[in-house]
Amino acid sequence: MVGVPSQFWRMLSCPPRHPKLSKGLDAVWDAAVGLAVQNAPRVRQFMRRAKQVLALEESFAKLTDTQLHETGDELRIRFRLCRETRDDINRAFALFREVAYRQIGERPFLVKVAGGLAMQAGCIAEMATGEGKTLAATMPALIAGWRGRGCHVITVNDFLARRDAEWMRPIYRFCGLDIAHIEQEMGRYERRQAYQADVTYCTNKELAADFLRDRLTMGSLNNLTNVLLNRIGTDSDVAERVVLRGLACAIVDEADSVLIDEAVTPLIISAEATNTEQVEAYQVACRLASQMCTPNDYHVDYRYCGITMTAAGRAKLTRFASQLDGIWVGNRRREELVAQALHAKEHFQIGKQYVIDGGNIVIVDESTGRLMPDRTWRDGLHQAIEAKEGLQVKTTKDTQIRTSYQRFFRLFPKLSGMTGTATGIRRELWQVYHLRVAVIPTNRPCQRKQLVDRVFFSASAKWRSVVAEIRHIRNSGRPILVGTRNVRDSEHLSRLLTAEGLEHSVLNAVRFAEEAEIIAVAGQEGKITVATNMAGRGTDIKLGKGIADRGGLHVIATDRHAASRIDHQLYGRAGRQGDPGSAQAFVSLEDELLICHAPRTTAIVRVCSNHPSRKLIGALARKLFAYAQHRAGRLSRQQRSAILRSDDWLNDLLGFAGGEC
Amino acid sequence: MAVDRPTFSESWYRVADLRPRLNSTTRVHRQHYRGQAWCVVQDEAGNHFYRLNESAYRFIGLLDGRRTITAAWKTCNQELGDEAPTQGEVIELLGRLYTSNLLQSEIAGDTEVLFRRYRERVAREVRGQLTNLLFVRIPLFDPNYLLDRWANIFGKVFSRFGLALWLVLIVAGLWSIMGNGSALVASAKAVLSPNNFLWLWLAFAGVKVIHEFGHGFACKTFGRENSAGGEVHAMGIMLLVFMPIPYIDASSAWAFRSKVQRIVVAAAGMYLELATAAISAIMWANSAEGTATHAICYNVMFVASVSTLLFNGNPLLHYDGYFILSDILEIPNLAQRGKEYVYYLVKRYMWGYKEARSSAHSPDERKWLLGYTLASTAYRTFICVAILLFMMDTLFVLGAVLATAAIVIWFLMPFGRMIRYVATSHELARVRTRAVTTTFVTMVIVVIIVGMVPVADHARAEGTVVPRRLAAVRATTDGFVEVVLPSGRLVSKGAMLVSASNPELTARRAQLLAESRRLNVRRDVARRENDLVVDQMATEQLAALRKQISRIEEQIEQLVLQAPFDGTFVAPDIDRTPGTYLHRGDEIGLVATLDDLLIRATAGQSIAAQLFDETHKRVEIRIAGRPDIKISGMIEQILPAGNNRLPSAAMGHAFGGTMAVDPLDPERTKTAEPFFEIKIRPDTNVQLLPGQRIVVRLNMAAKPLGLQWWRSLRQLLQRRFRI
Repeated sequence: MVGVPSQFWRMLSCPPRHPKLSKGLDAVWDAAVGLAVQNAPRVRQFMRRAKQVLALEESFAKLTDTQLHETGDELRIRFRLCRETRDDINRAFALFREVAYRQIGERPFLVKVAGGLAMQAGCIAEMATGEGKTLAATMPALIAGWRGRGCHVITVNDFLARRDAEWMRPIYRFCGLDIAHIEQEMGRYERRQAYQADVTYCTNKELAADFLRDRLTMGSLNNLTNVLLNRIGTDSDVAERVVLRGLACAIVDEADSVLIDEAVTPLIISAEATNTEQVEAYQVACRLASQMCTPNDYHVDYRYCGITMTAAGRAKLTRFASQLDGIWVGNRRREELVAQALHAKEHFQIGKQYVIDGGNIVIVDESTGRLMPDRTWRDGLHQAIEAKEGLQVKTTKDTQIRTSYQRFFRLFPKLSGMTGTATGIRRELWQVYHLRVAVIPTNRPCQRKQLVDRVFFSASAKWRSVVAEIRHIRNSGRPILVGTRNVRDSEHLSRLLTAEGLEHSVLNAVRFAEEAEIIAVAGQEGKITVATNMAGRGTDIKLGKGIADRGGLHVIATDRHAASRIDHQLYGRAGRQGDPGSAQAFVSLEDELLICHAPRTTAIVRVCSNHPSRKLIGALARKLFAYAQHRAGRLSRQQRSAILRSDDWLNDLLGFAGGEC
Repeated sequence: MAVDRPTFSESWYRVADLRPRLNSTTRVHRQHYRGQAWCVVQDEAGNHFYRLNESAYRFIGLLDGRRTITAAWKTCNQELGDEAPTQGEVIELLGRLYTSNLLQSEIAGDTEVLFRRYRERVAREVRGQLTNLLFVRIPLFDPNYLLDRWANIFGKVFSRFGLALWLVLIVAGLWSIMGNGSALVASAKAVLSPNNFLWLWLAFAGVKVIHEFGHGFACKTFGRENSAGGEVHAMGIMLLVFMPIPYIDASSAWAFRSKVQRIVVAAAGMYLELATAAISAIMWANSAEGTATHAICYNVMFVASVSTLLFNGNPLLHYDGYFILSDILEIPNLAQRGKEYVYYLVKRYMWGYKEARSSAHSPDERKWLLGYTLASTAYRTFICVAILLFMMDTLFVLGAVLATAAIVIWFLMPFGRMIRYVATSHELARVRTRAVTTTFVTMVIVVIIVGMVPVADHARAEGTVVPRRLAAVRATTDGFVEVVLPSGRLVSKGAMLVSASNPELTARRAQLLAESRRLNVRRDVARRENDLVVDQMATEQLAALRKQISRIEEQIEQLVLQAPFDGTFVAPDIDRTPGTYLHRGDEIGLVATLDDLLIRATAGQSIAAQLFDETHKRVEIRIAGRPDIKISGMIEQILPAGNNRLPSAAMGHAFGGTMAVDPLDPERTKTAEPFFEIKIRPDTNVQLLPGQRIVVRLNMAAKPLGLQWWRSLRQLLQRRFRI
């Protein structure tokens, strides 16, 4: 008797299919629909329904635990059969509130319920930070768990996955569901067990990697026919070796980061390459590159991260290479290697894109500011940087399978999520994932004071003022969080503060060991914390005693990020949950954002800045930053959609190589 | 990346370990184009072709189903160095081969993709047919078997012996035509008359069947010779501007190695058609006029020679001539690559997109690609506009629909696509500012040229040259001509032109004079006798007689004809008149002011409005049949009232003019529509002769081209709808 386990069967019988991006008139229609859908008033509806849920509170509070169990079982059957009505959803949410109260002592309030409902409806819920998003996500996860097809709750890191899973476990257990979480160290068997649970908490990285590994395991057995045929002929049981149970539903925390910022981050399963002859080639290339100089030999394009070698540069290279042999004989490969080395030299700087940790190059994620030890750059770029830093050049790796988060998350038939900041990405969320955004109002009105940006002519003037401002605020006793764009800036500021004799703590990709301790005390009186974007997401700085009366936490941003969302994440550290607070950005006309994305306009403003009316110039410069952010956003949006389209194109072209994941 | 052709591709892993090979049904033909070796991969089942360059073929050739792609690629790199295809190029190459169904792989492809691609291809074909409504192809049957059977016999036509025979035929045909030149010209007009259309079309259809079989047999014959297949699997009907004509698919000839053979296959249709024309010519010359054979032969001759050379032989249209040209130039796919090359030029030099790759493989190719594209675009635009105008003239509604469709498909849609490309394409992201600026500036320039820069506007009117003053010299009295002035003499007013004598009048005068003398005598007698009554009577009779005499004398005086005004005496036959008898009223000649000429031109209603408002007084005059002579003139007067009598019958349709005349009018000078007469004084009389037909170019007020076209279009619509 040939058979495959039913879950495996289901996974194979309705394999995920990549929906294609629409083109031409379809795309226009789709964009029009998106515009209509995004602007439809749905938040009020969610709030109304949330009130209905809250109205059920009394009737559920009266039930005994057993009665609650019974109600839960009854609802579970309905959801399992997909026979639920809107009323059932309301009841499920009301039940959840009661269970949450009895099990963990928290009863989600109105906006959390509204957020949960929005996610249940397949939206991205924009909820203010500190509104307890974990609890809100549990509600739709519970319903998805009841459906019995599995549900993945995507968290930012392993720590949060474990914490949330542990925290919510009593609720799920009470409702009759298994839950599990995935951690990096887990083995295949453990993972398989965890994924078999009704609800699995995991990070996007782990989930996508497991998905790719499964694909590799399955190989050509990626459809039901092939699997059944294989079962007839051989004994090998691919079903046993596959860890996932199919992709049915995902609830993504920090959806903007996962779905947009990391959208094109390639996920690669790779193996050591077989040929190792190239290792010294990178060192030679690096040596050659150091003898080339801009602008005679090559031009640098900062906005598009490009290097263009000039004819003189090429000639120089040919001269250098005439003494070399091997791969240096061919023109193309030679230029490629040197261009790569120049690329590493011009566009990658220690402390910005990477740090050196134990003799290794470790990538720093630009939007979260965290270290990404597993990641490497592709196409020999990593090796070129290793050569540049004089480290041991490691062998290149051969890609075995690859996808991107963008493509991966498009596979989910049901996707929802939550974020603190979804403004500015609505169109893209619709275009790529067909997701709508619901902006849930805050529980308590925000009391953060957003002070107007201060613009400086030069970077040094900016840093001087930042230090002066820190001193000034510290004297008032308020805690200060200073956000920097990269490790290098945070170290620079730290030096300045030390020179001024200001005591402070630094939190960045290099100094992250005491993260929890630093954050724990960051809200205390007179504390100065210098942090990269690391402190942006998910960190909750609790205010010390009496701080709220003095005005709460003050946030200083020393740079503007390419996306205003990420600036807002940082500002959002102040004034959480109705606390008072203030935030201000210090920027200069020498900032990277302007140099990369609005060089010409900046030059004009620079010329105008001799104008006597400083006020006008200030306003102009602030506009300039908004403009640069707008341009940067548009550029990265276009790049993302170009990648998606070229992937589609390639997929069509490579039909003979089988479907890709 | 800074490198044009990066060696590695991040998608390589997807193909790295595959062991594909070319389909077993494919055949590879080696050909040389412009000194470069190419390999044409042919899928015999689907008749797909794919051209590979040397290095790509080296790679594909290594794929035998046992080697992995990576192994083949590495071998290729070792052997060819920089010439070897990069990973990205390999992926694209494999993908394209697979898309053309030329590749087979050990794992079954993504079936869904296969089916989707099939659906897309069908949809694309349907879309292609719809966008190309004027040239729809409907395949009907597979002529391969038929051709196989008869190729042995008919194939001989393309042998050396066949060529000799053909030459003999052509010479004979020309010989027989030459003897009948005038009949040939006479019948030429009848060919395009409406009642000949059916014959013409039948001749056309028949000739085209022969034409298509010519391709078929040539393809078959050379295919056998080369053992290169030469399969011909589709024959059907093509609707060329809704006119059904046959077609055959002889594309397997592309696989032939010999360029000459490919050219012969492309030319085979015309070759047979010309032979047909020659045979028809001989038959036509040897059949009696008025018989059906004669008429049919004439039509066949016309279609098989003129239309063939005009359409099939024209390389600017996508017919045989095009394929012949592209084979002679050794630039396959000339039209497509020419278009790509023009796009490349725009991208590279106008928009500054440096990564654009030229579709030209050698510098020589560039000028051909550019030249051909520009010429064929201009020519096709012209032909399309002509066809559409013709359609609008004959079948207005259909023509208008087609014209709208043509504007949308050939102009608006590509324009929209270009705008979208410039505005949104990722390729142009880095040079968008420049691309947008240059495109915008170009558009502005075009708009300014078309819409704002006034361009001289001309209208044409036909006219005749007339003397300003013209008088016929007529005999006022009967008489015998005695003395005449030679024709062509300049005369001043009152000068004698002709003097005649009338003996009868002279006799009569003598008789009357005698009578008057008698009456005088009688009166004198009566006076002497104081016979008052008789005196009175005689006096009265005498008075009456004098009157008679003076009348006669007047008549005699009139026997000398005088010039009524200064001018030239024109009387071509005057030399023959002395001694002849002239009757009263007979015209002897003319006196005309030949040194003072006037042009009377007629202008139809379509230019009437401008005629009165905007026309410059100065005009240019051309003499019909003498394009080298340029004369200027000045408008003297425009007769504001509509007229419908032409100044000369020569200006009417009936005698070769442009004005439509009422066919029932005996004089053929009554026009169908009223016109306005313009009187023009030429600046010089040199070279102008009275009675000449001339064309007057009226200079209207300069106006932007856009306005001019708009007016023409409105007039066209108005004519159709009689608004």
